[in-house]
Amino acid sequence: MLILFYFFSFVLILSSLFVVFSSNPVHSVLFLIFTFFNAAVIFLLSNAEFLAMTLLIVYVGAVAVLFLFVVMMLNIKEVILKEGFLKYFPFGMLLISIFLIELLMIFNNTDFSQAIGMGININELIASGNENTKSIGLFLYTDFFIIFQISGFMLLVAMIGAIVLAHDENYNLKRQNPLNQKILNKKDVIKLN
Amino acid sequence: MDSHHFLILSTLIFSIGFLGIFINRKNIITILMSIELMLLAASINFIGFSYILNDLFGQIFALFILVVAAAEAAIGLAILTIFFKKSGSISIDIISRLKG
Repeated sequence: MLILFYFFSFVLILSSLFVVFSSNPVHSVLFLIFTFFNAAVIFLLSNAEFLAMTLLIVYVGAVAVLFLFVVMMLNIKEVILKEGFLKYFPFGMLLISIFLIELLMIFNNTDFSQAIGMGININELIASGNENTKSIGLFLYTDFFIIFQISGFMLLVAMIGAIVLAHDENYNLKRQNPLNQKILNKKDVIKLN
Repeated sequence: MDSHHFLILSTLIFSIGFLGIFINRKNIITILMSIELMLLAASINFIGFSYILNDLFGQIFALFILVVAAAEAAIGLAILTIFFKKSGSISIDIISRLKG
């Protein structure tokens, strides 16, 4: 189990590095898909089967394909990565090292074995015959109902926003002008020979 | 699997996403992908602690992170598409034109 976790985390980190550093955006998106596959395996190892499959369906099936469509539609040439690279790379490394040092201090000084959950015990749910998906459903539609509705509204707003932003009203639209239709005469239109 | 495994893994992925925002100055699509990586790191943290504490709460919250990521990708790519239509480029340097 631990060997599998190490292997897939290593591949996950490696492929996310490739996402960031590759100069061709199409390669970036393909490595992003690979990253999501590895993350799904990590989720499976953590006994979250429903989330793993949802990650594959939502991220790989929808989000990554959306990225791929946009990259191919915009037809971007290979970007010259080196232009602002040396200017921003040291600053980025500085910020990241500060961030990492802060987090490592927190990890060293916190005893995570003392942490307690929110009281939804998985073992009890499994003992009473509910598998992962069913137990998520049991709590998602009852205790978290308001958050569930709000997230549904958020997806609706995102959908409407994307359609409003990307919709071009005058592009390639055949429309008839009522005035031109009105001033036509019968003898201009119908010709009998 | 210990809590430190998940913490270090998610920290590393979050840092890689953070680095991606800084070094990709010419390409906004890669920046959006870096944001996806950062959200994935947050999900891994939630799932990891759900596994360690035997608590379902983390899995339910990771589901909501998934919703946020999908909405953010849709809106970001729509803005990117119309910006490319107007300006013919997706460089960071000229996107400051958006500020009215």
